[in-house]
Amino acid sequence: MREFMARLRLVPAQAGLGYVVLVATAAAYLVVYTSSLGRFPTSFDYLSILNTMLPLVFVAIGQSLVVLTGGIDLSVGGIVSLCVTVTATTVTGTGLAPFGWLLVVLALGAACGAVNGMIVAVGRIAPILATLATLSIFTGLALWVLPVPGGSIPPVVRNVLSNPNVPTGLIWLGVAVGGWLVLRRTRFGMRVYAIGSDETSARAVGVPAGRVKLGVYALSGLCSALAAIFYVSTTTAGDANAGAPFILTSIASVVVGGVAFTGGRGSALGAVAGAVALTLVIDVLFFAGIDPLYQSLFQGLFLVVAVLLGTAATFLTRRRRATP
Amino acid sequence: MRPVPTRAETPASAEVLAVRASGVHRAFGGVQALRDASFAARPGEIHALAGENGAGKSTLIKVLCGLISADRGTVEIFGQQVRRVVEPAARRRLGVATAFQELSLLPDLTVAENLLLQDPPRGRLGLVRRSRLAPTADAILRRYGVDYIDSRATTADLSVAHRQIVELVRVLAQEPRVVILDEPTAALPDRQVEWLAGHMRRLRDEGCCVIFTSHRWREIEQLADRVTVFRNGTRVATRDRISESEAVTLMSGRTLEGTYPDVAALPVGETALRVDGLAGGRLRGVSFELRQGEILGVGGLAGQGQRDLFLTLFGARKAESGALRVGGEAVTVRRPKDAIRAGMGIAYVPEDRKAEGLFLPLSIRDNVALATLSRRSAAGFVRRGAERAAVASIGGQLRIGGGRATNQAVGTLSGGNQQKVVMARWLLTDARVLLLFDVTRGVDAATKHDIYQLVAELAAQGKAILFHSSETEEIANLCHRVLVLREGRISAELPGPVGDADRIVAASLKEVGDA
Amino acid sequence: MNVDMARRFDTVTPGVRRVFYAYAVAAAVLTLGAVLHPGFASWTSLRAVLVVAAFTGFVAAGQMLVVLVGGIDLSIPWVLNGAAIVLTTTSLGQSSRLPMALAFALGVGALAGFANGMGVAWLGVPAVVMTLGMNGVLQGLSLGLSKGLTCASCGSYAPQPLRDLFTGGVAGVPAALLVWIGVALLMTVLLTLTTFGRRVYAVGVNSRAAFLSGVGVRGVTVALYTLSGVFAALAGIMLVGYGGQPSLGLGDPYLFESIAAVVVGGVSILGGRGHYLGVVAGSLTLVAVTTFLQAQRVPEYGRLMIYGLVILVILFAYGRDRSHD
Repeated sequence: MREFMARLRLVPAQAGLGYVVLVATAAAYLVVYTSSLGRFPTSFDYLSILNTMLPLVFVAIGQSLVVLTGGIDLSVGGIVSLCVTVTATTVTGTGLAPFGWLLVVLALGAACGAVNGMIVAVGRIAPILATLATLSIFTGLALWVLPVPGGSIPPVVRNVLSNPNVPTGLIWLGVAVGGWLVLRRTRFGMRVYAIGSDETSARAVGVPAGRVKLGVYALSGLCSALAAIFYVSTTTAGDANAGAPFILTSIASVVVGGVAFTGGRGSALGAVAGAVALTLVIDVLFFAGIDPLYQSLFQGLFLVVAVLLGTAATFLTRRRRATP
Repeated sequence: MRPVPTRAETPASAEVLAVRASGVHRAFGGVQALRDASFAARPGEIHALAGENGAGKSTLIKVLCGLISADRGTVEIFGQQVRRVVEPAARRRLGVATAFQELSLLPDLTVAENLLLQDPPRGRLGLVRRSRLAPTADAILRRYGVDYIDSRATTADLSVAHRQIVELVRVLAQEPRVVILDEPTAALPDRQVEWLAGHMRRLRDEGCCVIFTSHRWREIEQLADRVTVFRNGTRVATRDRISESEAVTLMSGRTLEGTYPDVAALPVGETALRVDGLAGGRLRGVSFELRQGEILGVGGLAGQGQRDLFLTLFGARKAESGALRVGGEAVTVRRPKDAIRAGMGIAYVPEDRKAEGLFLPLSIRDNVALATLSRRSAAGFVRRGAERAAVASIGGQLRIGGGRATNQAVGTLSGGNQQKVVMARWLLTDARVLLLFDVTRGVDAATKHDIYQLVAELAAQGKAILFHSSETEEIANLCHRVLVLREGRISAELPGPVGDADRIVAASLKEVGDA
Repeated sequence: MNVDMARRFDTVTPGVRRVFYAYAVAAAVLTLGAVLHPGFASWTSLRAVLVVAAFTGFVAAGQMLVVLVGGIDLSIPWVLNGAAIVLTTTSLGQSSRLPMALAFALGVGALAGFANGMGVAWLGVPAVVMTLGMNGVLQGLSLGLSKGLTCASCGSYAPQPLRDLFTGGVAGVPAALLVWIGVALLMTVLLTLTTFGRRVYAVGVNSRAAFLSGVGVRGVTVALYTLSGVFAALAGIMLVGYGGQPSLGLGDPYLFESIAAVVVGGVSILGGRGHYLGVVAGSLTLVAVTTFLQAQRVPEYGRLMIYGLVILVILFAYGRDRSHD
């Protein structure tokens, strides 16, 4: 127990930020919901929240991986858009055929991410600029695939991915979290943190920084593709502009989740908590009867206040540690 | 590819070289860091690399360990030629391990993660067993006699000395056949220097090739079996024995006489700075007086509050309590800006010039003029003529860059010239109180000599100088008086010049009130 | 180029050299356009490019200032949009209310920028987070207070003098262009001739050393974010002067475009290096590419892809020069 407490003290306060914010938001949700409707949320409510938040959760996981290496991925918007249009136009048929196509979409997302990784790792271009350029390219490709919103998704896919009656989404959420936990325990995972902490030093001790970054951006692309699939599955149609909002919301999730922008500190689980909290805030505002036009005002405040709280907590723990 | 022999199979004869570099060229931008450089070291020897700053030692080390590639030339490790590519991991497989001058530890990772980054303990499915990280790392640390560092601690929270020790353990634990240590003792207290020396000798006796650099000649004399001297990117000599004066001549190309100026001859005037009960950070109430024309040394063991004292006096750190009087007037210094303006003016020259002093891509002029911009401006516009004149005059006085254009970027200058640029900035403020914090750190012997002369000249002009150095010998020889700090308090005051550094060390070890 | 000139070019600082590169790229794009599409080099066409580039140039001026100290301003879209809405709703289309409306609109920009600067410099919030949050706050306020641009005064047009100025011009020269020349002069003088400019570069290169040299790092940072807000508001004002009425999402295209213009103009995204004259060339390049593709009737998807590729190519070209810095 003392061992555990000692370890807890060494966890920077900021790392736990995502969970604290999530718990607070969830509590606010329950309070606002019950006081406005006079009853507790039903399983239907939970299911709809689950299905709405999954795309953002996936993008946030990918974004957090990139941010952990000290980079940023603006092209998630473009990759989501591209994969949404490809999913909505090509995934057809019955039986197992659509799932084969889904694998193709995932490969496409990973390939797009790998392109980013090549530009960043081999071309040595700053991540924010490299992904800004590819954002434009991927969005252009999405428009080429599907100039006007449309397309469809076979019901069989929908039933497996985001069933409106059964919480299949929980399985996929579990897979995502499990995937992260495994990744964290690989040498690759350790190297991601090493690069984010100090890339020059990591290279000096023999970390193949280029390959690791390539992998990280490819994984981010894969996550964006997953998000796209769930997006189409929930909305049952495609739109070449579907990805744009995910750029800023994924960054916000990562920030609220307590991942340091300088890299090396935080975890994808925090980003997942951040993404869930950001999704919940919209429902909180809705049930609190706030005009939806003001929605972004509160989201903006939420973002800044969450980060300020994290900074304050870190500051306080530092002080407490400094004065014995 | 030939199989790499293990350490035991390596023939002990001196014919086989552990490391051999020949005809190595390497340029950075326009600066030729290495030109036709050659170097050879045998297995089973401790080989020191000596040379001034910018002589090419660090570049050679980076080429040897594969961190950067050579433009031309070959590198062989145990007779095996290595490709000219940047790949530290490949050198590692050849048995080369390097401790760098700029530490290569990852600040956000724990000590354990740093030690085991390349070879973490793994369980089923090849996954890293995170619970085994700390115990495994603890075992490694203890194997090298280090029981005072918590392997669960985040590396950024360790002191510089402890980080250096972790870095060294990381290198030792690789059981290398070639060890390269770039300035390994720069951040180490004496006791740990002994610890390191022991391990270097053990490695040598086991047949390992140990290569190291140091600015402290005493260490080179005590440890090295052979010395190679570099100058201007090329090797000038390799000898078994070398005297200090001969080495200095070889390194700088000129002879050095009378290292320290005669401080005792310099007159001391009125009180310039008076400090009463200064506390904050590690400081627990420090009081003293500093007079015009006086060089007051601040010594003591590392980390007793010396840095906090300098930063607090300059307003770069918050004081919790205490009063300052500059030239008899009470002043409050909350920011460096206040210090520069206060009374007679206070200036702080930092130890780490790259992090705290210089703007590498900016010109010499921009660098020198920055602290006094508003004094040569009208309605917010820089008076360029006045600025050019001021910079040219101070630059000439200090002989910066040998008369090169002042619009040259500071990044292209040598280390010694860069230090002069920082000094020039502060001399231009006309400050009468100078806080010189370890300004000779990482500076070659010839520039050190220049700096000693400059400090004495400044004192002769009536400046009040507070002087700290990580080399106690400098404090012993260059100061009128020496204050010894211990746990944030002044534990002793010695009249100077002390001459013998051991007396300061002895005073540093005494408890407050023992004397 | 003979050897002597080449050598002299080599001694020019990398920052100045990049300004030359930026203009070379702009000239290349314009020449290529003129060759491939006769009429592209005509005055009417060039004039249109210059006017559109001016709007990018205003926004990029603010973006450049914060990038110089290693920051970024993501609040530009809704500062711009908010200022545009404030201008029309407070002026109600009346000329007499124009000065007050201008003051309000610029005030909104300054206030938002000031808040950004305070958050970044004093509270230590990362620039991305602070300005992203500010963008949300202003979006929510703009939408909420104007009821989604359906409020009673939301139908107002910009006052006639402002519209005349920006649709007509002064002596045949578009007003946007004149203002841009003014902004370019102001930025160049501010950054190269004043003590403030010196301090900006010092903070951008090494903020710790700047602080230890007596530079008020926080004050400089707050001033730069405030200026960025003012420039975004200025762009909003001119866009409604040009178009007559604000729309929702007016500022959205300018976020990434301003960053691209700054970087294509040779400003280092890491801070401390760059000149506004380069950013002028960067804005011209980006707008020329888009205009040319539109003139060639390239569909939107093609435009987006080529736009991205052009930025990539320029980034790689600059990347080759990096070893010289």
